[in-house]
Amino acid sequence: MNDDSHLLPYAKRPDFKVARANELTGKDRRFFRFLEIVPGVAAWATIIGIILASIYTPFIAAYFIIAFSIYWVLKTIFLSYHVRYNWKRLKHHMELDWQSMVQRFSYDKYYHLVIFPFYKEPAEVLQETIAGLRAAKYDAKKLIVVFAAEERAGPEAQALALKIKEEHGDSFGHFLVTTHPDNIVGEIAGKGSNVHWVLQQVKEQVIDTHNIPHKDILTSIFDIDTVIYPDYFNCLIWFFMTVENPYKSCFQPVPLFTNNLWEASALSRVMAMSSTFWQMIMQERPEKAATFSSHSVSFQALYEIGYGQPNVVSEDSRIFWNLMIANDGEFDVVSMSYPIAMDATTASSFWGTIQNIYRQHRRWTYGVENWCYIVYHFTKNKSIPLKKRWSVALLQGEGYWSLVTNPIMLFILGWAPIFLGTREFHETVLSYELPIMVRNLLIVAMFGLVVSAVISLSLTPPRPDGHSRFRYIVMMLQWIMVPMTMIVFSAIPGLDAQTRLMFGRYMGFWVTPKGRN
Amino acid sequence: MTHEPQIQILPYKHRSRFFWVLVIIFLVTLPSLIFYTTGYRLSFENEETSIVTTGGMYVTTDNLEVDVYLDEEQVERPRLFRSAYYIQNINAGQHRIVVQSPDYHTWVKDLPVDSRVVIEASAFNMPVQPQLRPITLYETATGTAVYFEEDITDRVFAEATSTEPFYFSTSTATTSFQINEEFVFVESLFGTTSSSSKSVFGRLLDEVGKFGFATATPEVATTTSTTTEEKTLRGDMELIDTDGELYARWLGSEAAIPYYFCVTNTPLASTSVRYGEHVAQAIEQAEGSTSTPLILDSNRICRTQIKLDHLRQDVFYYNFFPNSSDLVLMQLQDGIYVTEIDDRAWQNTQLLYAGTDIQTVVENDVIYIRDGEHYFQIATEIESN
Repeated sequence: MNDDSHLLPYAKRPDFKVARANELTGKDRRFFRFLEIVPGVAAWATIIGIILASIYTPFIAAYFIIAFSIYWVLKTIFLSYHVRYNWKRLKHHMELDWQSMVQRFSYDKYYHLVIFPFYKEPAEVLQETIAGLRAAKYDAKKLIVVFAAEERAGPEAQALALKIKEEHGDSFGHFLVTTHPDNIVGEIAGKGSNVHWVLQQVKEQVIDTHNIPHKDILTSIFDIDTVIYPDYFNCLIWFFMTVENPYKSCFQPVPLFTNNLWEASALSRVMAMSSTFWQMIMQERPEKAATFSSHSVSFQALYEIGYGQPNVVSEDSRIFWNLMIANDGEFDVVSMSYPIAMDATTASSFWGTIQNIYRQHRRWTYGVENWCYIVYHFTKNKSIPLKKRWSVALLQGEGYWSLVTNPIMLFILGWAPIFLGTREFHETVLSYELPIMVRNLLIVAMFGLVVSAVISLSLTPPRPDGHSRFRYIVMMLQWIMVPMTMIVFSAIPGLDAQTRLMFGRYMGFWVTPKGRN
Repeated sequence: MTHEPQIQILPYKHRSRFFWVLVIIFLVTLPSLIFYTTGYRLSFENEETSIVTTGGMYVTTDNLEVDVYLDEEQVERPRLFRSAYYIQNINAGQHRIVVQSPDYHTWVKDLPVDSRVVIEASAFNMPVQPQLRPITLYETATGTAVYFEEDITDRVFAEATSTEPFYFSTSTATTSFQINEEFVFVESLFGTTSSSSKSVFGRLLDEVGKFGFATATPEVATTTSTTTEEKTLRGDMELIDTDGELYARWLGSEAAIPYYFCVTNTPLASTSVRYGEHVAQAIEQAEGSTSTPLILDSNRICRTQIKLDHLRQDVFYYNFFPNSSDLVLMQLQDGIYVTEIDDRAWQNTQLLYAGTDIQTVVENDVIYIRDGEHYFQIATEIESN
């Protein structure tokens, strides 16, 4: 019999780790299914609604498009303000001597559990990751490093991890190589299930055997391509020691997808930097954020919720929602504004890169499954303040809706009344002025891209030998692709993901291929 | 030594304040831009600030190098889509639009502009000096047209420009030249389908006289004969010659009717002032017509037939201008003209080629003429060197 005494009361509910409607019964099942349908319906209704409005009420559609274009300009200004501010903070944090700053704290008792789940990534990726870890300005004996292989990846993956252990294991306090069994009932294959399983293994093999208090372990769950900056653990400790509720907080660094930036195509770079910018924005408004990709949290917090969910695709964010809901809303994201380096999505061919970026963003945007989870539990856990429940549900819902609809509305549907409108509409000044106005507003909004271009250059690693200086010009000009990337790699994969969820065609975890040229 | 980061997270208060500033900007900007895009403007005339409503004009041209003037003020050339001019901020009232270019005929129209409405027009400009491509029976090995008579320069090319070089042969020997197959083709066209020395109406009367006995192919191959009318069709537009007058008639759907068939639905007196007396008369005549009924469409009234101005001359040949259903090519007594169907204000009619002893054929959207014994293709643009 499972001992669940360590779980928080709400985490003991049988539906706490629900992933899909078909895991529930009765009214709950119908309600969850309804929630799965809502995002897709909202997105399609918006798109179809604008088309119908353009045909039957083109004047109203035109006014709406003007309003939306102004909103977009102001939103660009608003977000650019956040990016620019976070950029200043990020640069400042990168210049600080965190090692000296943490000396005033007594932090020797803390261990860092660093988990690297991986699948079939090549040795070069793992070597860079471990090299980053070894270069950390931190007592390596306080690190518990886990290379978590997958059984379904074959014996090569485990052999690779064991080789890394053989070469570097002695440098760290503990070094584990685990192999996540295939086909465990109730799991879906992917990073989430691996992490869920490995946390239990670490507890059994290291934490319990060495009697390390759970409160003294900070868990960093990193993608395998995560190369930490030297002061990451010092920075983490500093935030852990200074925040109000360290055991009720997740610590979110800024992912810079720069490991292979010089080798990546312009398309990959734009997508990578766009993702970074979004995370930089969220760093400045953490009350609206959830965890993303690589992040850190106390082991105690994870233990209290049973280590998150092994049955979801977007496990990196879900773990935060698990924690937030189980802690009755008392759980926050702490923005570290300190970078970690990761890989931009690439492939050996341009078409392969397009496919990989599309699939990766479809997986990310499938995070809309979290909205169903949040709203479902917000109706169950009345201990969470009502205002918080409403604001989080609306904010997250708006986020997923706008992700899918805004680029399409802006760059495609903005012209719909002109092509679909009635004859009376076509004869009006409004019909002729609309495209001019929308174009001018978009040009104003494009100035936000100039900010992006400048900031992205400042975050680009030094130019390696063999790369022309001309590449810097390309790196500036690449941002003109943004309108296209927003539609092709943001809106369409988002719509794809929401439509799949709407029809109950649930997605599995797609592993983004990592490699080095 | 620093123990604290000097730059703190963006305070919520700052973000909130910034957000509300942007909300205020949104609330102020939205109505302003909606008013602007619907045609409202601030006017500072007579040292008084007032809000006026404006309209616009949308003019397309077939020539990219034209200058456009609205009420004698030049309109800035568009940077993109250079064949279309959208002229904003026009006060309601009658306005004169002029489209001109050196060496081309000028196109002029007076049109009424209404508040918050854009009126359309389509300009055309034909070369003042005809542009001819010689088509001769013989050509050199490199394809250059060969003439054997010098009267070609004295008579034809004194008033026209050849788009291609040609060669004079002082000898009548043809052995060093080759037969031009295009000449054979063009000559055959004139043998079957060209205009004749009789006017179209005259030929119609002949046809009526021969009714019941005629077995030969009609002279104008692109038209069909009845006892009273000749018709030429392009898409949903039909040209009809009836009772000595030439008409353009719309046969398509009401929704797709070209804008120039329609005028704002106002009393006839007002229509007369805005679009010309002839338009008002045409509407009045059409009111009781069953063959060419008026289309009443909310704020506008549309005729389905427009009479074409043939300058009080006999029409010897007519057809649609190549690649257009809005322009008509007419061979009149003193030459070949291009006219627009749009009769609002008036119809611009431009001389394409002057001559009396000429015949015309339009084949595959190419205009061929026979002047005396010479064949040419007429170019409608001046080729730049």
